[in-house]
Amino acid sequence: MKQKDDVNASIFKRSSWTGLMLVLVAAITLEATSLVQYIFARKGLENEASNRAMTQLEATQYKIMDVIDQAEAAVRNSVWIAQWALTHTDSVQLISQRIVADNPVIVGSTMAFVPGYVPERPLFSPYAFWDADTLAFTSLATPEYDYPSQEWFVKPIELGTGYWSEPYVDTGGGEILMTTYSLPITDPETGKIAAVLTGDISLEWLSDLVGDIEIYPNATGIMVSRAGQWITNKGDDTASINKRARFLDQARNRADFKELQQAMLSGESGVRTLTFNKVKRTVYFAPVEKTGWSMCIAIPESDIYKNVKRVGFWVTLLQLLGLAMLIFILRALVRNQAKYSKLSERKKMMESELQIASNIQMAMIPKTFPPFPERHDLDMAASIDPAKEIGGDLYDFFIRDDKLFFCIGDVSGKGIPAALVMAVTRSVFRSVTTHEDRPGKIIAAMNNSMVDVNDNTMFVTFFCGVLDLKGGHLSYCNAGHNPPMILTDAIRTLPVEANLPLGIIKGFEYVEQETDLQNDDALFLYTDGLTEAENSEQRQFGVMRTKEALRGRKRSDLHLKNIQSEVKKFVGDAPQSDDLTMLFIHYLGKDGDSTTERTLTLTNKINEISKLAGFIDDIAESAHLDSGLASMLNLAIEEAVTNVVNYAYPEGKEGKIDITSTLQKGRLVFAICDSGKPFDPTKAPKADTQSSVEQRPIGGLGIHLVRNIMDTVNYEYKDGQNILTLTKAL
Amino acid sequence: MEVIITKENQEVVASLNGRLDTPASLEIAPQMDSLKADAGGTVVLDCSQMSYISSSGLRLFLALRKAAAEKGGKVIVRNITDEVRSVFMMTGFLNLFEIQ
Repeated sequence: MKQKDDVNASIFKRSSWTGLMLVLVAAITLEATSLVQYIFARKGLENEASNRAMTQLEATQYKIMDVIDQAEAAVRNSVWIAQWALTHTDSVQLISQRIVADNPVIVGSTMAFVPGYVPERPLFSPYAFWDADTLAFTSLATPEYDYPSQEWFVKPIELGTGYWSEPYVDTGGGEILMTTYSLPITDPETGKIAAVLTGDISLEWLSDLVGDIEIYPNATGIMVSRAGQWITNKGDDTASINKRARFLDQARNRADFKELQQAMLSGESGVRTLTFNKVKRTVYFAPVEKTGWSMCIAIPESDIYKNVKRVGFWVTLLQLLGLAMLIFILRALVRNQAKYSKLSERKKMMESELQIASNIQMAMIPKTFPPFPERHDLDMAASIDPAKEIGGDLYDFFIRDDKLFFCIGDVSGKGIPAALVMAVTRSVFRSVTTHEDRPGKIIAAMNNSMVDVNDNTMFVTFFCGVLDLKGGHLSYCNAGHNPPMILTDAIRTLPVEANLPLGIIKGFEYVEQETDLQNDDALFLYTDGLTEAENSEQRQFGVMRTKEALRGRKRSDLHLKNIQSEVKKFVGDAPQSDDLTMLFIHYLGKDGDSTTERTLTLTNKINEISKLAGFIDDIAESAHLDSGLASMLNLAIEEAVTNVVNYAYPEGKEGKIDITSTLQKGRLVFAICDSGKPFDPTKAPKADTQSSVEQRPIGGLGIHLVRNIMDTVNYEYKDGQNILTLTKAL
Repeated sequence: MEVIITKENQEVVASLNGRLDTPASLEIAPQMDSLKADAGGTVVLDCSQMSYISSSGLRLFLALRKAAAEKGGKVIVRNITDEVRSVFMMTGFLNLFEIQ
């Protein structure tokens, strides 16, 4: 069993391995799938982010351009009146006023004259602006401000065209971040630039516009001026502004940020990644036309891939759950499989062990039938049919001093313990009967020795008989077994004392009984497996059916076969519940001896075989056999004899063949004897009677016919003679 | 044992009369062998008068049947008695011959 367990362990291991591999493969497949899915999802989200950012940048640019265009238009549209005002300097302030008042995008405006153009006012720049909701006026012509040195004034004159200034914090007016569009005004008469007309726009608003690009919760939008000035609002404390300021603070000195700035200032549009503070950001940027500004949106990757991460989380969770379930199921399967294979291995082992035990057990009891072919006064047969693999029933018999000792028994319980007790019982029976031939004494002795060894409180019901074959006197003793049946002219139960089963009380006095059997009387012994055989309706086969099945006189083995088939018919599909053991003893007595015996002696020549026909005819006539059976017997004997003629003696050597026929009650026995070399025809291989004409061997049919026609074919080599005994029931 | 061979139409008919036991088989073996020459066509073995056959006789039948199989002819066994039929049954010969 040790080895067994190792085998099972390895089966278990193998199964575990298979399971583990399966889980691994499943896991790898799932992971690969989700990796691909993840990559595609990322790519998709990346594209989406890019699209959204660029779209947003474009939309923002349009908004900015709209403001810029409005501002430029407002200034341009006032050129004619500004030129008119060159000569009507009293109205200059009105121009600024009108520009500011009529154009919501413009927060302030001035018409600043080239110093000295208006002789009475060397510096002249009236400024109109929105102070909260009120239109206010001031003059930029202060020594502190020195407007002629301001960029918004210098550049357009220098370039001779409209110019957007760098963002700056207005100190003169609202203290806001702004940018100014300035357009040089030419004196129509001289063709020289006389003044610069401006419109200021608030960059707070623009900056907010960019900054509020909320395509992602943590996206940051910032503008940079063409001089590299990052436009963030000051003073205002909104989250958006702080965000931008924080972003700039953190990024400002980084090389990759500077590279980004460079790219932006060169007017490109594109995408960069910036990583700082452990946050990876994707930065999309695009220029704002006309101004030379550029704006960008920085989006943290966590925002872009938030969904994929969330989805990834759920997918992974589901996968893990799935895998866990898979493992769980596999474990269960593997365990079951291991259990089943273990069970079935065990079962097989058990079955084969039981088979061996059964074989050993069967080897103990005589089971060659007919058991005494040389005796003409006795015809007996026995059968044992265990319900389980191995049973506790037994029978035994042997002949000593012309007395037939026989017994039948049933050990309480079933299985291996019962079988062991059965084996003990049988050996005790054999040892006691070597010197004792009184059944009462045999049983008493057996009982005593069995009580001694019986510590399992198992008992044996047992019947023992001794039949004197010379006169038919039967002495018997019963130890709690069901009484046998005696078949005379009628079938009845043999009268028995119940006594006690073997192995219960030491020293119990068993009553021995006796009777006389007449020639052709028979005894039928059985265990309760017969009468108690149940069909599916829980009805038992019973004694009556048994008696019915025993009617008529047949060869004893045919009696047993008949009963077996009757039981089978009765029981149907119901499982066999108990061992079924039977012993049939047909006492032929002097009738058996008084059979007619005929002998034919032939020499080993083919032509001699023709004499068989007459010999068989005589036998057939005296036994009243029909011609068909006679013909068959003739054929069987001829084949057997032909065999001897052909093979027993060396070529050319004359030898004799004796054919003895004995007609017993119920059967014919032929003995074919020769003194040739030992040759057992029963060892011949089975003849081929199936294959096609081409394949069919010529020959080999002789012994096949003998076997088919006769009931038994027995060979023995004895005293220098081949003896082939053939019997046929009549 | 007597074998009478006649040719009727396209058939060669061999009538087997008597008991075909082992000695008889030896006796008629040459005649049975001669039938092999006709085994390309149809050979009829009329067994109405054959009351007995042993394995030696069966050998002769089978040899003829094999020859017919080789030559593409056929062997018809006609009018077999009950005894012979039983023997044919036991030996599987019923399947080898066309029985009429």
